[in-house]
Order: sequence, then C-alpha cells, then structure tokens
Amino acid sequence: MTHIIDKIFANATRLIAIIVLLITAWIFTVLFQESLLSMQTFGLDFVTESKWAPNLEKFGAFAAIMGSVISTFLAMVLAVPIAIGVAIFLSEIAHAKLKAPVGVSIELLAAIPSVIYGMWGLFYFVPIIRDIFGGIGIGMLTAGIVLAIMILPFMAAVTRDAMNTTPDILKESAYALGGTKWDVIKDIVIPYSKAGIIGALILALGRAIGETMAVTFVMGNVHKVSFDLTQPATSIPVTLANEFTEADTKLYFSSLFELALILLVISFTIISIAKFYFLRRTRRA
Amino acid sequence: MTAIQKRVIINGIVMVLSTLSAVIGLGFLFWILFILVSNGIEAMNWDIFLFEGAPPGYAESGLKQALVGQLIIVGAATVIGVPLGILAGTYLSEYGQRSKLAETIRDVSDIMMSAPSIVVGSFVYAVMVIPMGHFSALAGIVALTIIMLPIILRTTDDMLHLVPTTLREAAFALGAPKYKVVLQIVYRGAKAGILTGVMLGVARVAGETAPLLFTSFNDNYMSTDLFAPMASLTVTMYNYATSPYADWQRLGWAAAFILSMFILGLNIIGRLILLNKKGK
Amino acid sequence: MSTICSVTEEKALEINKFDFTYASADEPSLKQVTMPIAKNSITALIGPSGCGKSTLLRSINRMHDLYPGNKYEGEIMYNGRNILDEKEDLISLRVNIGMIFQKPTAFPMSIYDNVAYGLRLQGMRNKTELGDRVEKALKDAAIWKEVRDRLKHDANGLSGGQQQRLCIARAIAVEPEILLFDEPTSALDPISTQGIEELVTELKDKVSIVIVTHNMQQAARVSDYTGFMYLGELIELGKTEELFVTPKERLTEEYITGKFG
Repeated sequence: MTHIIDKIFANATRLIAIIVLLITAWIFTVLFQESLLSMQTFGLDFVTESKWAPNLEKFGAFAAIMGSVISTFLAMVLAVPIAIGVAIFLSEIAHAKLKAPVGVSIELLAAIPSVIYGMWGLFYFVPIIRDIFGGIGIGMLTAGIVLAIMILPFMAAVTRDAMNTTPDILKESAYALGGTKWDVIKDIVIPYSKAGIIGALILALGRAIGETMAVTFVMGNVHKVSFDLTQPATSIPVTLANEFTEADTKLYFSSLFELALILLVISFTIISIAKFYFLRRTRRA
Repeated sequence: MTAIQKRVIINGIVMVLSTLSAVIGLGFLFWILFILVSNGIEAMNWDIFLFEGAPPGYAESGLKQALVGQLIIVGAATVIGVPLGILAGTYLSEYGQRSKLAETIRDVSDIMMSAPSIVVGSFVYAVMVIPMGHFSALAGIVALTIIMLPIILRTTDDMLHLVPTTLREAAFALGAPKYKVVLQIVYRGAKAGILTGVMLGVARVAGETAPLLFTSFNDNYMSTDLFAPMASLTVTMYNYATSPYADWQRLGWAAAFILSMFILGLNIIGRLILLNKKGK
Repeated sequence: MSTICSVTEEKALEINKFDFTYASADEPSLKQVTMPIAKNSITALIGPSGCGKSTLLRSINRMHDLYPGNKYEGEIMYNGRNILDEKEDLISLRVNIGMIFQKPTAFPMSIYDNVAYGLRLQGMRNKTELGDRVEKALKDAAIWKEVRDRLKHDANGLSGGQQQRLCIARAIAVEPEILLFDEPTSALDPISTQGIEELVTELKDKVSIVIVTHNMQQAARVSDYTGFMYLGELIELGKTEELFVTPKERLTEEYITGKFG
C-alpha cells in the first residue's frame, strides 16, 4: 500500500512540475498562432514600418519597438551608475549600523508595485519635466527616468548581492598590502564578482524592457519615432496595455499578439543570457 | 604628490561619489514613499471600505468593489498556485534533483519569473477571454496563478534543498517511505522558508496590474461572480489615477496606499519569520 | 601571572599593556598583553582556539579597523611610535607590515599581476623595474621555477601550496620589515606545509616574522621565540627550545603536554 502511495505522490509532483514547462510552451504557441494573420499580412514590414493606423488596418510596430529600446536604454544609462554606486556603498562603505537598514529598505522598495512608480511619475514627475523642457511632460524622457527609478532598487540589490560574494579574506589581503577601499573595490571586488554584476545588470535590463505599468502612465502611447525625447511616444508594453481593450478587428488583435510575441522573445533572450551566461556560476552549488 | 597620496585622494573622491549616488537613489525612493504615504493617509477614511466607487462628485464613494475583487482574485490565485507550486518544487528538490528534466524546469521557471507579466495577460486573453466572449475574474485568477507558479516552485525548491540530507537519511533509516519523509520531515524542516516564499510570492502577484488589464478587466460595482469582470485594487488604481477627476484620483491614492501597506507588510512578516528561524 | 623572557636582540615591535575589544563584545578579547618581538627572528604564537592569538596578530597591522567599532587600548611600539595612535597612516603601516592568511588568497588576476600588485599600489610603473622586483620576489618565495613560463596565467590555476607561496611572494615584493603569518598552512597538505615552513625559516634574514599556528610542532620547528596565549592573555613568552622543554608556567606545561587544548 505504501508503495502505491509513494508512487502516486512522486508522479503527481512530477506531473505538476512538468505543467510549468507545458504552460511556457503553450504561451509561445498561442501567441504565435494568434500572430499568424498579422505575420502573413505584413511580413517583415511589421517590424520596419512605423505607421500604426487601426482605422486603415495598417500596423507597423517600428515605433513601439524603438520606444522599448530607447526607453530601456535611457533607463539603463541613468540607473546603472547609481545602482553600482549604491551597491558599492552597501557592500563596502556603509557603517555596519547603516548597512542592514538601508539594504532592507532597498529590498522593500523593490517590492513596491510598479504601478505606484507610474502613478507617482504622472502626478509628480511629469510637471517637473514639463517645467524644465516644455511640452506636455509626457514622453520618452519621462518614461526613461521613471523606469530608471523603478528598476533601481532591484538592480542595486542584485548588484550588491553579487559584490558580497567576494570573500572577506581576499579583500583583507589587499588591505594588508596597503590598498585603499577604492583599490580593493576596483582590483579585487569588481574583478572577482564581474560575471555576477554583469548578470545582475542584464537581468535588470530584461525586467525593464518588459515593464508595463511604470511607463504606461507617462509615455503617451503615440506611435511615432521622434528624436525629441520630450515628445510623447510608445513602447511594446504601453501599446499592449492601452490597445488590447480597444481592438476591434481580427487583424488589430493579431498585430497586438505579434507585439506580445516579440516582447516575450526579446525578454526571454535577455534573461537567458543573464542567467545562463553570467549567473550560472553563482547558482546553487 | 606621492603615489599613496594620489590613491588616498582618488579613494576619497570615489567614496564621496558612491555615497552621493546612494543618497540620490534613496532620496528618490523615499520621496515616492513619502508621496504615497502622505497622499494615501489623506485619502483614507471609512467610506473607502463601506462604499463602491461612485461617479465623481458623489460623497459616498469608496473602494469596496476593488478590495473585495482583489481579495477574491489574489486569494483564488494563491489557493491554486501555492499547493501546485509547492508540489512542483518538491519534485525538483526531492525527486528530480539534478536530472535533466529538473534542471530544465528550474531554468524555465527562472526565466518565467522575470518575463513580462503583460505577455501572460495577452496569453490568457487568447485562451480564455476570446472563447468566453467576455472578460472574467476567472481569467484574472488564471493569469496571476501562472505568474505565481514559478515563484513558489523555485523558493520551495531552494528551501527544501536547505534541509540537511542527514535528516532525510535518519528518517529513511527508521523505515519511513519517501512520501512520509517528505511530508513529515522535509516539509517540517523547511516550514519557515516555504512560508516566507509563499508570502513573498503572494506579495509579488498582488501588485500585478498589467496581466489583469484585459483579463479580469474592471467593474465599478461589487461583484463576486467569477464569470464576470471584476475590479481589483491595481486596475482600479490605474483607471482612477488616469481620470481627470480629483475625487477619483484621491481614491486611486487610497488604493495605492492600501495595496502597498499590504505588500510591504507581507514582505516584512516574511523576513521576520526567516530571521526568527535563523536566530534559533 | 605570566612569565615574559627578555629579548636580547634588537626589537621589531614592543607590545605594552595591550587590550583589544571587539565591537560586538563587552569584555576585552585581549587583556594586558605585553610582549617584545625580536628583529630578524621568528616569534610563534600558540594556544587553544579562541585564545586571542589571531586577534593579537591582526592588531599589529590594524586589520581590525576594517570593521567598525573595534577598540584598541595600550601600546604597540614600532620604529619609535605607537601604531595604535589615531593619526597612524594605515596604508603605509600595512606596506611595512605584511600579512599571509589561513587560506591562499590569490587575487583574480595573473600570477605576475598578483606579485606586482603591491608595487603598483606604491606607484611603481617602470616595466623593467617591476619585472625585476616580481622575479626577485618569486625567487625569494621559491616558486620562480614553477611559474616563470606562465606568468600571464590566471593565479587561480595554481595548486594550494603554490598559491600560498605566491601570496608570500606578493607580500615580500614590497619589502616589508615585518611579516605576519596567520596559520599559513592550515589549508595545505603536509608536503606543501613543509615547503612553506622552510620558506619561512629562510625569510628571517630579511624580515621579522610573527606566526600564529594551531600546530605546536610547527612552532617548535620554525620559531626562535614562542608565546603561549590562553583566554586573551599572554601566559608565557620564551625561547622556543626552553619553552617546550622547561616551561615556567603550569598552564603552558599542561598545554604542551596535551592536558587541554
């Protein structure tokens, strides 16, 4: 009897674990099927055309893709140096009494839902951008900055974790040769944890590119590629969030699904690179 | 200037820059927290819990429908997602271990944990909302369950892994069958860790907005019908905050405040449980 | 009570009534330690674990300053000044007093860069000068023959014993006056241990050495003076051959005869 129960339990857990794989595969399949119509209609033009005109049944995702790329790039440019600074502060500089409370508050801030960052951005940051740069304050620049602030706690926390893997004894050896803190950070801590730090930053990039709510409030959802960053723009998640409930034709839906598929493939690739190329070493021993 | 003096000066500059970036980063984050708390507290009153959202201008207006909807959607996703996630994690740690299948499931879950949640929303839209012909709470529940599953699975896997092998061996040596070892020994040893993992997982999905936008959608009135659209705190917050009406925006801040306190509370309690365990 | 022998040689260090308290502790971990350290000799510190021997060693190059809240009291006199003084320049101090750790600590860089590291910190940029000093240090550390063909290789590719000798080369490259060894062979196999012990003995012509060891035989083999510590106090300091044969203190005798430890 116990043998039968043992077998049932083992197989049940395996089945459920496999479900996770099946769901993932199913997501890809469904998104692909749903995008077929759009793929057949527009082909490669879908990613190179920026004209997105639902009333004309004309869908080109170039503006949305570029919007995702530019806003994420902007966010990374702003967030990476600050996140590294915070990580260095937390792992090497902060007094022991500061380390724990500041570290925990950063982690807690990473848990705050992104929709709240977006809401703050809309009410408090848009007016500032408007006052400084003119225009309506909603657009690529605002989205990039809000995205940077939203991703900062996560980025800083994982970068700090990577730096903390450096053994104390290695750092002490460098101090014992007369190194300053900065010498130890740049010659020992960063080289030692390089893979982990890069992995952490790429992982944050993967999260930023798929982030919806922090940017939806402040981007504007305008399908236009503009070099003026203060102009309203859009990105893949912003388009999805705004238009899924408005779509009314098969082709419109199909185009949105193709956008979702593109986003999934992009973030899957980025996260895989972070996980398998850079973070493999630090995974469970 | 000697080499050492130069290094000391550069060191000083970097220390200042790094501390400054910490101050800037934390400054922004605490600014947001301050705005959230001050607007939230200002917007809080008993009406929030007693009334449904009313058109702008009406006095008796609240978030009752969103609070109830939030509890139903997140609660149901938890009830489905947590046991499934724990069992799947059990497979990885206790049965699959380092097998190819287990490693693949681990890798895929790791990626899914960071994958864009709005994509899950569009998937559920395709497989549930389109066939049913309308938005439904059920679709929202499924979307959140899909997001929660890999999170619970990976924390369970990690937490069970921390239980010492000797403990399992001791139980086996007494002649216990494997399922009993898992259920009675391993789970007990990992209880605090799993509980924390579950709380962090629930906190994570409770803040999700994007996958609900076109699954459970929204409803301005109280509904407990799983087959109909249902309000949630996050979607309500989004709709109210982007509206032009001051009293709706106020409700938006109240929703943001309640949700954040719930999520921060779960995070803090989860950490305390682990800390307490470590202290013993 | 404690018995401190007189040191006839010139002294490298003089520790006077030294107390040390960890940030997390109420009680001092080192109590009234008074101990002369002879120049160009090897002084070993022995005692049961937790007796404070590593704590004392790490005070000599102010390693405890890396972690805030630790407190020193008393004096450690070095070249006529008290290095516990707040104004002490820790960077120069650590250049003059080097340290070798329990485990090999090869930095994540090439063998050559490991040895050149301390020299570069001091501003040495000249390639030939650097090369000469690196070669000399590697020769002095008896590892030159093994690594001369792969100086550009990652130092982590070396065996444990080789890495430890590399760390010694790195430490002596900057020509310190004192070298501190903190259980340098605890992570090594017997053959590597023997190599390190021989190396330590050869080094004393150039530097003064303090070595902490958990291994009494090692202390007896390599050192000129041995200090026995117990519960944060220096119980006895004596010439090594005398301390192990005719200990003056009852505690020392009990420890070296294996009655506790």
